[in-house]
Amino acid sequence: MMKFLKQVGDYAKETVQAAKYIGQGLSVTFDHMSRRPVTVQYPYEKLIPSERYRGRIHFEFDKCIACEVCVRVCPINLPVVDWEMNKSVKKKQLKSYSIDFGVCIFCGNCVEYCPTNCLSMTEEYELATFDRHELNYDNVALGRLPYKVTNDPMVTPLREFAYLPKGTLDPHDLPKGSQRPGRRPEEIAEELKAAAAKKEAANADAAE
Amino acid sequence: MNSGIDLQGTFITSLTDLGLPPGLAKVFWMPLPMLLMIIGATVAILVSVWLERKISAAAQQRVGPEYVGPQGSLQPAMDGLKLIFKEDIIPGNADSILFTLGPILVILPVFISFLIVPFGQNLLISDVTIGVFLWIALASIQPIGLLMSGYASNNKYSLLGGLRAAAQSISYEIPLALAVLAVVLMSNSLSTIDIVQQQSGYGILGWNVWRQPVGFVIFWIAALAECERLPFDLPEAEEELVAGYQTEYSGMKFALFYMASYVNLVLSALLVVVLYLGGWESPIPVGFLADLLGVSETNSAVQVITASLGILMTMFKTYLFVFLAILLRWTTPRVRIDQLLNLGWKFLLPVALANLLITAALKLAFPFAFGG
Repeated sequence: MMKFLKQVGDYAKETVQAAKYIGQGLSVTFDHMSRRPVTVQYPYEKLIPSERYRGRIHFEFDKCIACEVCVRVCPINLPVVDWEMNKSVKKKQLKSYSIDFGVCIFCGNCVEYCPTNCLSMTEEYELATFDRHELNYDNVALGRLPYKVTNDPMVTPLREFAYLPKGTLDPHDLPKGSQRPGRRPEEIAEELKAAAAKKEAANADAAE
Repeated sequence: MNSGIDLQGTFITSLTDLGLPPGLAKVFWMPLPMLLMIIGATVAILVSVWLERKISAAAQQRVGPEYVGPQGSLQPAMDGLKLIFKEDIIPGNADSILFTLGPILVILPVFISFLIVPFGQNLLISDVTIGVFLWIALASIQPIGLLMSGYASNNKYSLLGGLRAAAQSISYEIPLALAVLAVVLMSNSLSTIDIVQQQSGYGILGWNVWRQPVGFVIFWIAALAECERLPFDLPEAEEELVAGYQTEYSGMKFALFYMASYVNLVLSALLVVVLYLGGWESPIPVGFLADLLGVSETNSAVQVITASLGILMTMFKTYLFVFLAILLRWTTPRVRIDQLLNLGWKFLLPVALANLLITAALKLAFPFAFGG
């Protein structure tokens, strides 16, 4: 009899607990309702991609030495490097270069390993086409620079969360000149420069 | 107890005064409330679809529809218009008669159930003496329609969805009926009017929810399951079954399912309000306020205000529950089919049964508080 009562009690306890958890969950959802939407009204508003955004790859034809490192570090050997040996100068001469962005995973390995820095990542991400073969960019298409969001008169550029001033959650209607918290890369570079100059001066003093 | 405004009586007497026989006058009267109720229910669909989309958006920190009409309020009408113009497809090898009959059988009972929903003392289509029982009986026609459309679609997902819908509806109807039975026991009547009247007089304190808290929770859970709302939306669980019995439907036939689900939600919320939250009664009784202001309750202005306040009160409470259902949708994860049946048969059914027995015992012990 006691065992049965204990079972009933445990069951009731579990039920109350379940109800409590559902109540907690409801309060979470309810709380979310009063938060501001995070919506970016896309074609009219666009987020400014961060500095390290890995978008479409940019390629500079004249810098390329046709070493094919990009092909070797690519997970699927994607870049197509067409070159021929120029006997007179004993150098490889690049004829054409292409990357198929329908297959590329934008890992950025090629950019990282390129010895002459002829590859770079852009902030372009709107690559939609009607035919996937149009995504196979040749060296001309790869050499085009993307249009910046901040220069587009049709688009309201919005800053990403990490680039908003401290305590701000809404990228709309920021006061002019507001900056993200922390030091900006230029400031850090300047400080480092100043520190280096100081150290040099100290060294020079010591040498005397 | 004063009966408030009697529109039907006034209408019929004015027509008989014009020289019409009373029978004919009643025939003229009858389509009016029905039409009004159908229009009301349709508007309620649009409102709840809009609410669902807006509240869902808010819960997920999105904006939701906002271009069609102010705050996107015409979006559901737009969706309906789109569905009307869509091609009506009957899949190959499907049973076309059953396929067409299915959605009709699903939506008709829901609309007929509005027969018994009161918005005021005399503001309902018909005060049927078997009231809530009629609703439960009509609700059990629905799974037949679901099963029919699932079976006729010639699609494995549809069939599975239809079977699940039938299993779910049947297993949750029993706790639902038992919860209703406890309320009926207290008010000694199946009529929705009598059930509300039994709760009236003490304002918010007199509502059944205080006397039937367990029944209230059971009723709400079972009603959510009947409506196939989110914690119990297995019949149309898109991750598992594409869209269940709705998979093969498009155009107006799909719209019928869609409308049925939302009317059903509103209807369930209305019945929760009628059975447990005092229907059209305000939290503070209107009669008490009228006495306080020194106005007679039979005053025509007071009666008009009372009637409109009653409708407002009913709608307010109803949409409170619609809101709760939407909030629950984004809070609770979907249960598995075995968990669903376990919850229905092993938890809700015994608890509802115990609740009924305890109510009966309390009724015998304290007849003044539990409707002797």
